[in-house]
Amino acid sequence: MRIVVAEDLYLLRDGMVRLIEAYGHQVVATATTGPETLDALLRWRPDVSIVDVRMPPTQSDEGLRAALAARSELPGLPLLILSQHVEQLYARELLADGAGGIGYLLKESVFDADQFIDALERVARGGTAMDPAVVAKLLSSGSSNRRLARLTEREHSVLGLMAEGLSNQAIGQRLFLSQGAISKYTTTIFGKLGITDDDSNNRRVLAVLTYLNEP
Amino acid sequence: MRQSVSWMASACVGFVRACAVVVVTMLVPAVWAAAVALAIWWGNPWTWIVPFVWACIGTFILSRPVCRMFRLLVAKWTDTVIPPGYREAGPVVRMSTGYWWNGYSYERTRRDALQDQRMRTWWRDPATWRDLRFTGIAPVTAGVIASIPLAGVAAAVFGFSQPALTSRLIGLLGLVVAVAGAPYAWRSAEPVAVRFLGASPAMMLAERVDELTAQRADTTVAQAAEIRRIERDLHDGAQARLVALGLSLATVEKLMEADPDQAKALLREARAGATTSLTELRELVKGINPPVLSERGLIDAVRALALDSPLEATVSADVRLRLDPPIESALYFGVAELVTNAAKHAHATRALISITRDDTGIVVDVEDDGRGGAGARAGGGLAGLRRRLAVFDGTLEITSPAGGPTRVRMAVPCESL
Repeated sequence: MRIVVAEDLYLLRDGMVRLIEAYGHQVVATATTGPETLDALLRWRPDVSIVDVRMPPTQSDEGLRAALAARSELPGLPLLILSQHVEQLYARELLADGAGGIGYLLKESVFDADQFIDALERVARGGTAMDPAVVAKLLSSGSSNRRLARLTEREHSVLGLMAEGLSNQAIGQRLFLSQGAISKYTTTIFGKLGITDDDSNNRRVLAVLTYLNEP
Repeated sequence: MRQSVSWMASACVGFVRACAVVVVTMLVPAVWAAAVALAIWWGNPWTWIVPFVWACIGTFILSRPVCRMFRLLVAKWTDTVIPPGYREAGPVVRMSTGYWWNGYSYERTRRDALQDQRMRTWWRDPATWRDLRFTGIAPVTAGVIASIPLAGVAAAVFGFSQPALTSRLIGLLGLVVAVAGAPYAWRSAEPVAVRFLGASPAMMLAERVDELTAQRADTTVAQAAEIRRIERDLHDGAQARLVALGLSLATVEKLMEADPDQAKALLREARAGATTSLTELRELVKGINPPVLSERGLIDAVRALALDSPLEATVSADVRLRLDPPIESALYFGVAELVTNAAKHAHATRALISITRDDTGIVVDVEDDGRGGAGARAGGGLAGLRRRLAVFDGTLEITSPAGGPTRVRMAVPCESL
């Protein structure tokens, strides 16, 4: 995969580049400021890019804004946003276009290299990788939603893991259930939420998240 | 008929009020008149000094009660409340030497200290000199005008007691003047009081200095407490965890060859420790300055807060604005506190937060559907919030009847809009 890494801290940027290259992917460009990031994203059209939210010159949400700007130029451009903190607000903005290919994780998710690269590849394929904390908040703030209230506790946790971007198999492993049982749960969830089931892993996750995004 | 009755009523009320104004304003001139009369009666050219001194003392003693009464009358009749603005005496404390310190001097007994302090406060208070000036001005302004109906009545009484036609005419004229002037004559008391009894620039300045001194002390204390909290959190949290992390890594280095399995387990533990300390640091940072606030400004930070709150919180903001960071921070933490209160104490399910601006500054309203009964108690969260806003000359208005709903308005004047 061709990857752009936008991160202003040298140590972290260097570490990520080495990690990515160790897994056999190629870093085509790195960026250290907001404008550079936008340039790199538009010029290289990477398979996936890793973007830090806070970057120079203003040390505000430069990175996030550059990423969203690039995505409005190139719809569906896969982005993995890394940050020291996760906010529902940003998650909702990122997911707003419903086009998939979005990841939003805490920086410390790089501690687990396997999972991090897995998330990166999932985003590149058009899936999602959401931080569990954000998903939990999204789900709990959606709990006033009448349709969501109909879910059982188990269905709730399956929906949460789905929203993080896990496949049925991975969910089954987490909850110690068979894949068949999980796919039964997902069918019930979709039924209860009134979403037409779709074979595609990503589309259903997005459907869930977009659904939660509705006020 | 009814009109004339109400006219007569207001004339009577006005006459009584005019009398009251005359009595209050003419007290000091009466003292002087008495002094002059006494001096003339004694006849000796050198004895005028004694009545003069008495009159001066009388004026000094009477000036404050006269002003108090005048203020009271005006407040009672017109709803115009004029702050007295007298300087408060500080505390009198006993020193370790046994002497009493009253802010100006040491005295042997508490009584002496209090007496000395009273004299000095009275002497140095600009309000004292304002009161003196007022006792001079009031008789020739409000006093003269208020005495018109009285003079009219006097003229009527005098005129009707004489048989001559001209004196009867004068009496009739006096009666007309008295009745026509009565409802209005006392009204000059209000503008005179506002103009001459209000706080002078020096007094307002003194008040402001007191206010700012108190605020500065508050801020310093709050800042020190905050820094101590941060230090403690870092010391017990991240710092301790980093020590443990270093220790684990040192052990791993030793175990690497001898016992690779245990080394791996230790490494996993170290990683978990690093994650935990990052989480702690994140919480700490959020408490100092929420990252969204510096990344996006007040409105989006409040939106993020509303999304994370257990309440169904709606944010309406009609403006895009960036304020000075300290103001943004104060307002953000204010909203956070109010929303937390709504959920925790008022058991609200919904909150409405609106951010608007008016001619003078920014206004943040927080409204919930809880059970109300909130108030700024001394040492409570709302009192603290009011103090934090006061640093920016901001205000906090709370309307929270028992049974709800609670409405709180924070307003901060700012020019940087």
